[in-house]
Amino acid sequence: MEEYVGALWHKFITDAADKRYPKEAVTLEQIGKTAGILFRSWGGDSGLAVKSAAATAHGAKRSLLQRIAGSNLKAELTWLDGETLHLPTAIDLFPRMDLNRDLYIWLIALAATGSDAALPWIQRNQRATQDVLARFPGLSCRYQRLKDAVLSTRPLPERLSSGEREQEEAIRAALLNPGSVERLPPAVRPPQPVYLWLHPDPPASETASGKRDDPQDHEAGACLKKENDRRYQAERVDMPDSKDGFMMSFRAESILSWAEYIKVNRPTEEDDSPDGRPAEDMDRLSVAQDGKTAASRLKFDLDLPSPASDDLPLGEGILLPEWHYKKQLLQPAHCRLQPMLARSAEPLPLPAHLSATARRLRNQFAALTPSKVWFKGQFDGSELDLDACVQFSADRMGGFQARERGLYKAHQYRDRDLACLLLADLSLSTDSYISDRERVIDVIRDTLFLFSEALSATGDRFALYGFSSLKRGNIRFHILKEFERKYNDEIRGRIAAIKPGFYTRMGAAIRHASQLLIRQAATQKLLLILTDGKPNDLDQYEGRYGVEDTRVAIHEARQMGLRPFCVTIDEKGSDYLPHLFGINGYVVIRKPAELPRELPLLYAQLTR
Amino acid sequence: MIDLPFYKPHGNEIELFEHAFRKQLPLLIKGPTGCGKTRFVSFMAKKIGLPLYTVSCHDDLTASDLVGRHLIGDGVTYWNDGPLTRAVREGGICYLDEVVEARKDTTVVLHPLSDDRRILPIERTGEILSAPPEFMLVVSYNPGYQNFLKGMKPSTRQRFVSLRFDFPEPELEQQIVIGETGVDAMLAKRLVNLANSLRTLKEHDLEEAASTRLLVYAATLISSGFDPMDACRAALVEPLTDDEETAEALMEIVYASFGK
Ligand SMILES: Nc1ncnc2c1ncn2[C@@H]1O[C@H](COP(=O)(O)OP(=O)(O)O)[C@@H](O)[C@H]1O
Ligand SMILES: [Mg+2]
Repeated sequence: MEEYVGALWHKFITDAADKRYPKEAVTLEQIGKTAGILFRSWGGDSGLAVKSAAATAHGAKRSLLQRIAGSNLKAELTWLDGETLHLPTAIDLFPRMDLNRDLYIWLIALAATGSDAALPWIQRNQRATQDVLARFPGLSCRYQRLKDAVLSTRPLPERLSSGEREQEEAIRAALLNPGSVERLPPAVRPPQPVYLWLHPDPPASETASGKRDDPQDHEAGACLKKENDRRYQAERVDMPDSKDGFMMSFRAESILSWAEYIKVNRPTEEDDSPDGRPAEDMDRLSVAQDGKTAASRLKFDLDLPSPASDDLPLGEGILLPEWHYKKQLLQPAHCRLQPMLARSAEPLPLPAHLSATARRLRNQFAALTPSKVWFKGQFDGSELDLDACVQFSADRMGGFQARERGLYKAHQYRDRDLACLLLADLSLSTDSYISDRERVIDVIRDTLFLFSEALSATGDRFALYGFSSLKRGNIRFHILKEFERKYNDEIRGRIAAIKPGFYTRMGAAIRHASQLLIRQAATQKLLLILTDGKPNDLDQYEGRYGVEDTRVAIHEARQMGLRPFCVTIDEKGSDYLPHLFGINGYVVIRKPAELPRELPLLYAQLTR
Repeated sequence: MIDLPFYKPHGNEIELFEHAFRKQLPLLIKGPTGCGKTRFVSFMAKKIGLPLYTVSCHDDLTASDLVGRHLIGDGVTYWNDGPLTRAVREGGICYLDEVVEARKDTTVVLHPLSDDRRILPIERTGEILSAPPEFMLVVSYNPGYQNFLKGMKPSTRQRFVSLRFDFPEPELEQQIVIGETGVDAMLAKRLVNLANSLRTLKEHDLEEAASTRLLVYAATLISSGFDPMDACRAALVEPLTDDEETAEALMEIVYASFGK
């Protein structure tokens, strides 16, 4: 009972203190797709992903109620870094859903329009506001509405102590009349967060702080720190947080925050928060203090297997270029790709569990051929070739010796003139389980089997390769089936022997695969890439760098006349795949277990 | 004075066309749909004063459709020139629109016409026509990603002087919209800004970019009194996507330009 009353009391306190409207909330999830489209169409970088922002401590003064409730410590604000547009997970500031939604749209416009990072925060946001209003006249009504709504949530200047009062007045003036305020007057604390503006001091991004080897990378996420900003930072660190003894009220987004931060090591765990505040309160510490995220933390150097037990390397390795997106240049001979062959792959028959499906696919594929066309002037066919008949009688009437000729039209399949190279991602991530029984690699293996079974029924030329990588010097390119080779038990043995390892340096693998495919004399050349996630590798090949290099490799392939197409089981694939492959250049398979059957059918569609 | 169609040049294309015509070089125009290729060719035909034979190419187009065929009438058969043959015989511009849509075995009939021989052999009648100086071959296609598999045979492409069209610069596109529909400058500017916002979504979110043609449609609807935002939905948003969520997002872009 006591607990129940406690909860009620808590709810009362938080509601009264926060004035949030969860019933009217709009979530990023609801508008996620729209957010991306708006951001890009308004000039935002199409290589950025849209993600929910971690709430960050703002350090502003809190009301007595808020302090009792342990709330208003943090605000979810919007910012950009080299990889991501961070938007609030949900907006429930206003009592009307349309206003909450409008705020999202406004923030996206602001972020897409961009502004001079060298300006102080208050000028930067006024400038951006002016630019947005000039570019999008249709947003000005919304701005007026939002501005009024935001002003009504802000503290009244006359209730503030001097210093804070002047600050608040400056902000109000800047909102009312963008462009009119030169500077933010100093005060002991930073002002209340301004929800209509971008983040005053965004947390360092993954790339900006996670990389030690390339000092240039630091410019990506960090904004220039001004005197003002640095003060906030100090404030934030000094913030007396031992006073807020209450649990925060539960909001849907805390789940998200949990998921994000559970992966991260939490330096705060032992050394403070005796009161056991939830993880949401610790984001800044975990993200900003060393800037590492789960992804980079998981990376440790995997050792290459000893040469005796490893696959057999063929040749000296092949040097390949790599794209550096920040420098906008192709670094020649930057990677070394090593073709290799499984050492101990015994010839094997098709695994028994696939034989029924394989049989069915073979039957389907035997009938698979591209569009039918009418062949004219045939000696046999389903219809008369009128042109030929007329010609024939014209010649006869004209007294010409009628040439021997076909007078029929036949509806037939054109010859398939097609070569397909399938490139499979064998990186360590494929070692993870996707069901109780199967790992990603098992699905990939079955897919390779069934794909080969189906294609050998069509007579289309195909080749199979796998790849993984360990930094730019070791791109492992596993030969499974070359174009010239027949698909037989020896090849099946090689497919059975694939195993997961290392990382995913996709660009280099694609470049080499393109070279192999371009040598084929077919008219249509399909480069199928089978993967379970984003490109990544240890040496700066993560995040944007890897994505952009892969993108360039795809572009090169297309320039060469190949048709690249990606099949992925990464559910988040839609975030970055359009940037890599274009809207028609990929599919995300929702149920990985179906991939082995899906891929051959997809191939049928692609090559129809 | 002849009545020329309304055409606003992007650059030096009029001059290039005239030189190519004088020197008897075939011309290839590539560019996205609705960016003014067809308009340009009909403008030039009028300007030079030549008949224009336009063929819209498609999958089933055969060489006979271009060259001609025998027809039967009243116990006799007679030969009927196709548009290509007529242009060669009588002098004029033969314009093959969206030439990649035609099958490759169809377009080979263009080869002897598009090099310095400038002849058209008609197998059926045994004739070999020599093209007069007034004959000009013009082809166009849209090199978009969609046409990837079709593409154009390099051996065909290499026979043409090529011209790339893109969507006009904003200033120019505004003038085109005004010239075509008579809307005011303010509206034209908003529409063009809107189109350019939508165009940045090509590849990533949309298959095709919003064309000048669609922009002209939208302006036409608005100038005839239709609600601007509904006009944009009908002429700019729905033609670009079938996905509802995407359409709603595009409408937000419209609202940002027109106000809601
Ligand atoms: N440069 C231009 N001058 C005048 N009108 C133009 C121009 N470019 C495009 N248009 C307008 O766009 C429409 C579509 O152009 P069109 O020539 O049919 O495109 P395409 O042949 O490239 O698909 C035209 O009907 C015309 O209204
Ligand atoms: Mg991987």
